[in-house]
Order: sequence, then structure tokens, then C-alpha cells
Amino acid sequence: MKGLVPLFLGIFGTFAFSWVGLTVIPNWQIGHLNPESDEEGTDIYPRPQSGMFVRGEHVYAANGCVYCHSEQVRADYAANDIERGWGTRRSAPVDYIFERPVFLGKMRMGQDLANIGARAPAQQESPAPGGAASPAASPGPSTTSPAPATLPSTSPATASAASPASSPATSPAVSSSPNATPPLGQRTGVASPSPSQMVNATPGGSSPVAPAAQTPGAPWPIQTEGFPPMYSGAWHHVHLYSPRSINFDSNMPSYRFLYEKRRITGERSADALQLSGADAPPAGWEVVPTYDAKCLVAYLMGLNQSHPLKGIRSVGGAPAAAPSSATAAQGASPGPAAAASPSPAAAKK
Amino acid sequence: MNATGIPLKEPEISAAAGDTGQLERAYIDASTRVPVLMFYTSAIGWLILGTLLAGFVSIKLQSPDLLGDISFLTWGRVRPAHMNVMVYGWASMAGMGTAIWLMARLCRTVLRFPLLLVAGAAFWNLGVLMGVCGILLGDSTGYQWLEFPRYSAIILFVAYALVASWAVLMFRYRRGEQIYITQWYLLGAFLWFPWLYAAGQLMLFVVPVQGVLQSAIGWWYSNNLLFLWFGAIALGTAYYMIPKVIGRPVYSYHLATIGFWTYALFSSWTGMQRLVDGPFPAWMITASIAATILAMIPVATVGLNHHMTMRGYFPLMRYSPTLRFTVFGAMSYTVFSVVGVLISLRSVARYVHFTEASIAYSHLGLYAFFTMVIFGSMYYIVPRLVEREWRYASLIKLHFWASAYGIGLMTLMLLAGGFLQGADMQNPTLPFSESIETVLPYLRGRSLAGLLMTAAHFIFAYHFGLMLLGLGRTSTVPTFLNPVEAETSGGH
Repeated sequence: MKGLVPLFLGIFGTFAFSWVGLTVIPNWQIGHLNPESDEEGTDIYPRPQSGMFVRGEHVYAANGCVYCHSEQVRADYAANDIERGWGTRRSAPVDYIFERPVFLGKMRMGQDLANIGARAPAQQESPAPGGAASPAASPGPSTTSPAPATLPSTSPATASAASPASSPATSPAVSSSPNATPPLGQRTGVASPSPSQMVNATPGGSSPVAPAAQTPGAPWPIQTEGFPPMYSGAWHHVHLYSPRSINFDSNMPSYRFLYEKRRITGERSADALQLSGADAPPAGWEVVPTYDAKCLVAYLMGLNQSHPLKGIRSVGGAPAAAPSSATAAQGASPGPAAAASPSPAAAKK
Repeated sequence: MNATGIPLKEPEISAAAGDTGQLERAYIDASTRVPVLMFYTSAIGWLILGTLLAGFVSIKLQSPDLLGDISFLTWGRVRPAHMNVMVYGWASMAGMGTAIWLMARLCRTVLRFPLLLVAGAAFWNLGVLMGVCGILLGDSTGYQWLEFPRYSAIILFVAYALVASWAVLMFRYRRGEQIYITQWYLLGAFLWFPWLYAAGQLMLFVVPVQGVLQSAIGWWYSNNLLFLWFGAIALGTAYYMIPKVIGRPVYSYHLATIGFWTYALFSSWTGMQRLVDGPFPAWMITASIAATILAMIPVATVGLNHHMTMRGYFPLMRYSPTLRFTVFGAMSYTVFSVVGVLISLRSVARYVHFTEASIAYSHLGLYAFFTMVIFGSMYYIVPRLVEREWRYASLIKLHFWASAYGIGLMTLMLLAGGFLQGADMQNPTLPFSESIETVLPYLRGRSLAGLLMTAAHFIFAYHFGLMLLGLGRTSTVPTFLNPVEAETSGGH
């Protein structure tokens, strides 16, 4: 090749082409989206997030959660994300306009988190304002902040009492469980794990939790006695502190460094973790979340794409608090009653 | 193949110009000694650190509670630390070292302004060190390959500016009108990288774009870094080393021209295929899938060119370490691109999206292709810098086979595991956790492959250390992998 000038021009030209094509034009096309609202301009989605949510985003980035968790629901023709109960509709660009950084994710060593906040039990779920066909699920006024800023401290008793109302998929299991208050050991709410599971899961007689007897409709129906209800803020804290106390097979790292073990002075803190078994602190001690842990949970609880969007089909009407309802609408899932039956568990191995 | 077919040092020189040509080259090589060795030594230090981090990441995936209470050793911090050490510490520094040496050789002038490079290497090391510490302390930005916090990115950019300004200056002092193919690629790499890095930093952190576009920019950045920075350096190196070692000119300049421009044009448009089915306008993803397929044109032309250059000379791979590593790397470029096309096609991408297959892909590109070519170039360049020959042929062979089997096994494990993981994930009757259970045995196999590669890197670092200390052989004959005399009938 002769001459530097054509070489330089070519090198710049080809890259400029890519730069314009893949960053400038998309930025012009979807880089300046506005939140959607209804005709009256009241039901605005999405909304800017709380300060704790934003800080939690950075805790999420700092600890590399994004390397195992995605935050996007793919359309039903492309994947079964919706069928798994990870959302009621596919994710759209407008869902992310207030997030920075955006964690779409590249890997699923853990489940998708795009709607993890929407899957929280009803009493602390961020209300999905004006869900079109959601008779029961969104009583809250539309002005409620989507991110729960305070973390409720649910005691075990109220937790199990609240769960039948909030998550029908797991309620039969909870109510039918023979031991209402088991000793410190953890028992799954699954009525009767299959024998093969028992063999796998209890090698040493120390009471590990049987692996999740999961069903298609309800991805994680591991309702564990002695723990707060699934996906509540308190549940997230216990799960972050000790993932394997909730799901024995989990290979999620524990994030104990986000928690503080301290001597109880005066009364037990309201936000102390409800731990049991080997994780429980000795008497007179408690484990409390640091501010970073609270922000991380606030972030998780704020992840909610259940609000319907124009032009995007939502499956079912209800927010994804009850994932089985979403799949039941497709006729692909056993009903809520079957969700806790052992048959899918037997089919697992 | 007769043993005399193996050129000893500088094959293409004519008898008349031989002495001056060889002297001139030796003179140029000597002038590159300090900067290039500085880049290489740092790179190998980072390679060892990155390898150890990789082992730690891989073990922690199996036993997640290992040292789990220490914040800076949590999996989600060590993993980006590993990636960034490899990308910026090892690959970039080793690539720059080779590129600097090639620039001086091809501009046919002694290396001027070595202080620019020494300062560049020092700042680059500082930037990587601060970045890695930042990630471990919890300052990661969360964007793949851009995890380094801003204070580190600024230092890296300053370091890079020093190196790039040196490259431009060198080009002004070059002798001869002809610009060889290698120089196209190197010049491209040196000019693309700052634009790419600046665009990534600006559009993500300084004036961030809105919403999902951040993810698009992230993938655009990391894919282009792979192709236009690492890929360009590796292809340029291969275009130099293969003809040099076998002593024949490149088969076709015309093919090389086509290969270079199609490479620049098409591979720069890839990246968005990694967002398949994501919340983006479909055209972006489709354009990248099309570009991935079109990027087979440069693969075919470059591969054909190298193949035709090598034709009849493949047996030389038995002797020359440089040739063996370089040809392995050049062949891996084809494999890397074919796998890239396969996992990008929409129907397949749906299966392998969010699985370990994407890790197989990046290791194919960064290790099987880039790193192997750079290893080859180091086996060629280092003896010319320290004026000693490699001490043990057996260590080079061990290095090669451990690396080759290691990356081969790793790719197979991650691809197979990724496909099965994806199949489980796409099967709605299986619980999600089943897909993890499925892939875990393959990840154990991956750890085994990692052990092989760890052994390879330690062997190489040891051998390189011997060379640095002046413990190489003093000989006029390069170290061949197999004794030449014994293999041939009438050798001398």
C-alpha cells in the first residue's frame, strides 16, 4: 500500500462508520425516551428512584452481582422468561431510563432479577399503579414511591401468617406443613420431597434444606419455615447473608461482609436478621445489615417492570406477585394447588 | 523438508546486503531492548497474577464459601479483577511490547524517544494496579472490561497517549516508502484504541447515554476492543512472523488488502449480537449478526493468505517455536470467528444466551488467538533483545502443549456446558436451578483446563526469567523444538 493518507482516512472512516452506526444513531433513536403516562398524565412510569435505590445500584456493581444475574425479560416467542415467572411482559428500553448503570447482564448463573421487587409479597411490594386488569393487586395510590425505603421487620409468626394471602402458590405448602414451629433446623414447605432428593440433600443428618422442588409456574417456591416470606426485604437479607440456609444447592456467594454482628444492647434491633441453625448468632448477639446492605435490598425491591406499557403485550393482568397466575393464563402450568405437590419434584431427577 | 530450509536468523536478506542488513537489524533490536523488555516483564507479571485470580474464581464457583467473609475476595470482585488484569495488564502490555518492536523494525530506524515508552509502561502499570485495587475495594463500575474506576482510567489514558505519540513520531522517522501489511494493522490498532476507549469512557461515565444504550455501548466497546485492538495487533504480528520465520514473502498483497479493509469495516460492527432478544431496536442486533457473518470474509482471505504462504513449509512447525505458536494462533482466529458466527445466529443465540458459551468465545479470542500469537512473537523477539537463545527446548514444548490442550479443553467444556445449560434454561419444565446443576461438572472440567494453562504460564515465566537474567544459551543458532540434524539425512 502506498501512501499514508489513504491508510489514515480508511482507518478513521471505517471506525467512524461503526461509531456512528452503533452508538450515535441508536442514541438518536432511543436515547431520549420519556416516561409513559396515561391520558390524564397521572399514571407515570417509570419514575426516578430513591436515593437508597441509587446507592444500592452501586453496591450491586461493586460486588459483581451482574456477572451472574441478568435484569431483562425476553419476549415469549424468544425465551421462556415469562413462563418462568420472571415477568409479565418483555423488557423495553423505557424500563431503564432512570437506571445508571444499567445491568442487563450477560450470564444467568442465578435467576433473572428484572422483576424481583414485583415478586415480593404483597404487603411490601411496590404497588404497580393502575395495572389494567389487576383487581386485587394494586390498591395503593399511584403516587407511592416504587422503592420501599424502610425495611419492615417481619417476625416469623406474622411472616407465615401473611404468606398465604400474598403468594397463593406457596400457601398450601405452608398451611399443610405438619410442624408449625420446627426447631432451629430448616424445613422446606414442600409437603413431601421425593426420596431421591432426601438422599441427595441430607448427607450428614444436619438439617439442610432439600433442594428446591420447583415447578414451572412458580420458579422458587421454597417456602422455608422460620424464614420470612419469599422475596420480602427480610428474606433478601437472610438470603444475602446465608444463601445456602435457604437453598442448599445455591452457589451464590454469601455477602456477610455487608452485615454486622454485634452484641444486643437493650432491645433487639428491629432490623436484625432472622437467622437459624448454624448461622444464628450466639445468644445476646444479633446480625444487622449495614447501610450498604439495606441499600442493596432497597435496590432489589425496587426492580419492578410489572407496569404495563403501550404496545407491549402483558401476560395476564396481575403484577407478577403470583407468578403462577401469569403462566396459568397460558395454560402451561399446573394450578396453584399443584405447585406444591411432590410430582414435579420426582420428575426432577 | 531439508534442515537447510530453516532460516537461522534473517532469511530474506540477499548475500550482498547481508552483512549490513543484519547489522542494521541488530542495531535496531538493541535500541528497543529497554522499553520492550519493560512491557514484556510487566505483562508476564500480570499474566501470573491474572492466572492465580482465575484459579481462585474457578474454585470459588465450586465452593462459594471459600474466604467468603472477606469483602475484597468475594467472587463478584475477583472475577472482574481477573478479567481486567488479563485484558489491560497481560494482553495490552504484551501486545504493545510486540507492536513497539515491530514498529521499530518495519520503520527501519532505531527506536527514538525511548523515555516516552518507559514512562508509558510505568504509567500503564500504575493505572492497572490502581484499577485492580479499586475493583477489589469495591469501586467497580459494573461494565464489562470497563470496570476500572475513573481515576485508573485517566492514568491509563495518559500512559496510552505517551505510547501512541511515540508511534506517530516513529512513523515520521521511517525509512522506505513501502508500508508493510503489519504496519496497517498496527497503525489501525494504535489509532482505534484511543478513540474506542475515549468513546466508551465518555458515553458511559462523563456524559452517560440513557438507559439500555449504556449496555449497548458496553458491548460495542468490549467487542471492538477484542477485534480492533487485540485482533489487529495479533493479525499484524502473524503477518510479520509467518513470512519471517519461513523466509518467504506473503503470498498475496492483494488478498491482504481485501482482508484488512473488510476486517476494519465488518468486525467493528459486531457486538450487539450479544444483546439478542434484549430491549433494543431489532435492527441493531440484526446489523451485528450480519456483520459477524460478513466478518468471515477477512477470516477467509487472511486464512487463505497465511495458508498459501505456509504451503509446503508446515513441517517447519516441528522446529520453530515462533511458527508453532503463531500458526496455532492464526488458525484459532478462524475457529474463533466460526464459533462467533455460530453462537450469533438468532436461533442458536437463544440457546446460548446467558450461558458459559460466551466465556468460551472470549477465551477463544483473547487466548487461543491473541495470546498464542503473542507468545510466538515473544519467542522470536526476546532472544534478539537479550542476545541469548532460549535455554530449554523442552520447556517451550511443555508451554505449547499445556497452553494448547488447556485452551482446547476449556473451550470444549465451556461450549458444551453452555449449550446444555442453555437447553435446560429454555426448557420450561425444568426448574431454573437445574441449568446450574447441569453446567457445574463442565465448570470442574474448565478448572482442570485452567490448571494446564497455569502450568504453562509458570513455565513460560520461569523461562523468561532465565532469559532476563542472562542465563539463556549463547549460540548463533536459535533454539529449535526438535534437533534438526537428527531429523534429516544429509544435514550439516
